[in-house]
Amino acid sequence: MITLQSVSKLYVSGRGHIQALSEISFTAEEGQGIILVGRSGSGKTTLLNCIGTLEIPDSGAIFYNGTDICRLSLRRRTLFRRREMGFVFQAANLLPWLTVAENLQFPLELNGIRGKAQRGRIEELLGTFGLAGYEKALPVELSGGESQRIAFARAIAHAPAILLADEPTASLDTSTGKQLVELMITLCRTKGTTLFIATHDLELLAMADRVVTLKDGKMEQRT
Amino acid sequence: MPYRLFLLKKRICKALNKGPPIYSTMRFTFLFKIASLTLWRSWRASVVLLFMVISAVAALVFLSALAVGTNDAMIRNSTGLFSGQIAGTGIQELETHRLQIPGVKQVLIRRQLEILLGNGESLESLVLMGVDPAQEKAATAYWQKTVAGTYPATGEETIFISQDTAKRLKLAIGDTVNLLNLKGFPLKKLAVAGIFKTGISHLDQGLAFCPTQALPTGETALSVAVFLQADTPVESIVTQYRQILPLASVSAWTDFMPDLKQLIDLDSVCMAIVITLVFAIVSVGISCTFLIFTLKNLREHGIMKAMGLLPGDTALLLVTQIGLLTVFAAAIGTLAGFLTVAIFSRTGIDISAFTSHNQYFSVSGILYPRLTGLALLTPPLVAILFGMAATIWPTIYIIRKNPADILRSV
Ligand SMILES: Nc1ncnc2c1ncn2[C@@H]1O[C@H](COP(=O)(O)OP(=O)(O)OP(=O)(O)O)[C@@H](O)[C@H]1O
Ligand SMILES: [Mg+2]
Repeated sequence: MITLQSVSKLYVSGRGHIQALSEISFTAEEGQGIILVGRSGSGKTTLLNCIGTLEIPDSGAIFYNGTDICRLSLRRRTLFRRREMGFVFQAANLLPWLTVAENLQFPLELNGIRGKAQRGRIEELLGTFGLAGYEKALPVELSGGESQRIAFARAIAHAPAILLADEPTASLDTSTGKQLVELMITLCRTKGTTLFIATHDLELLAMADRVVTLKDGKMEQRT
Repeated sequence: MPYRLFLLKKRICKALNKGPPIYSTMRFTFLFKIASLTLWRSWRASVVLLFMVISAVAALVFLSALAVGTNDAMIRNSTGLFSGQIAGTGIQELETHRLQIPGVKQVLIRRQLEILLGNGESLESLVLMGVDPAQEKAATAYWQKTVAGTYPATGEETIFISQDTAKRLKLAIGDTVNLLNLKGFPLKKLAVAGIFKTGISHLDQGLAFCPTQALPTGETALSVAVFLQADTPVESIVTQYRQILPLASVSAWTDFMPDLKQLIDLDSVCMAIVITLVFAIVSVGISCTFLIFTLKNLREHGIMKAMGLLPGDTALLLVTQIGLLTVFAAAIGTLAGFLTVAIFSRTGIDISAFTSHNQYFSVSGILYPRLTGLALLTPPLVAILFGMAATIWPTIYIIRKNPADILRSV
């Protein structure tokens, strides 16, 4: 269970003060698929970054399993991400100098899954995403849809509690994107992973357990 | 750990509400694999870095060896002309055989007598050296500086004079010259066999040679010139001589040629400055190239940080990358330098066109680059040191940069 309590974030830049998030509060259950929508600049990326501990809110708290993850030290936050977070970004997620298998190896190594268990898990993931036989391919040799699928596989390889996807379908065509999101939501639901997807694509909303709409950093809730 | 066990452990941690468990840093073998794969698969950048370091190291190894070779040549020329590496006086005739110790190539015994040389009305005071012509020819080079006639041979009643003396006394080859003692009393006559000119004033002024048996009878002083085998340290032989012959006065070339000693010291200082400068420039180059290389991969570092790479892991990854490159390049560079030195140390480098009027190159203007341990090891070690120093800035930059900012901007 993840609970956000009055999360606010203010950016100070050349354009003046920008209230990227103001007083965001909601609770997400295990296995829920939550879609964040809102116009460009409404604060979706900022919210995902706060949940993912890549950024620290100015005020408010984010509780995971009873711990305020915003108050953790840098080292513990990093280790928390290593253990319980998966990230998928809009594009260019994969490490370009590593093959598909080596990319998948990364989170497994970080979590101490090695040797035979590691090889087994990589095979299992490639099978799940329909990419068996792609082990030795380099990211440049993959299509956009294939690399996003690998990115998802890498993000869930270590069975994280939270999966954060920032516009994962933006570089894909509508039907490919839809298939991918469907697969993710189903997978996360069965594994008990809480999934956050930020998107512009309103067609995806029907699949979500919950939709959070942001407008100028404020939440307009509807279920 | 099997994957199911991993899941179970995770679930238990969660149930016990223990918060995120702390995991140790990344396994070094995996880190090493990533570092080397990154270098291997972005080989263009790697080759540029390698090329820079290899050429710098090779050039410096060669340069160091050349400096050593130049010093060698100057010492060889200066000591090999006449004086040897060690000069001794106050030694008894019967003791001279004791100077022949391991490391000594040849000991020349010279008897000297102060006399007046006369031709008609002209007189000149000089030191006449009685020598063993065969041995002198074997060990020294001044006899090669003959400009007319020949060097005297054993058994001849002849004399070998400098061109200056010949001019002043108006002597030519075959002329007879009078030998007088300092009071002007005639001692004997010798024929001029040869005339020499070395270009070094203390040899060209006031010195003449004759075979020992041709010396006029009288009070002669004994001096020895010791020639060492290559690579024999002169100090150790001098120390041994001082133990063997405590009453004799023994000095090394560093004492009786202080000008040459200073020149060589100056050379070493210059060399150290050149090495430091070249490496300072190369290290700036390596730093910049590595910085560009790292910044080019900024997004990847952002992704890895988001996935939970600790600052220490990031630092180790970058240090491993540059370490791999510099160690490899330093090894190749040293080898390349070594081979170049090996080739030139066989053929030699002829610089006689630039040294014909230089007293430190009076015999031969050919340099033989020579590698010493220091010349071989300093360039690669300095390269590795500077390479490591070059990782500091990019590492700090990446560690301090927030992954969210990296991922937003790239
Ligand atoms: N580092 C920053 N410094 C200053 N302002 C920032 C910074 N990051 C984001 N912002 C501002 O915060 C607001 C929210 O940005 P955010 O990226 O969260 O929007 P978004 O909903 O993800 O937009 P998009 O759909 O275009 O990705 C925007 O107005 C943006 O300009
Ligand atoms: Mg965004």
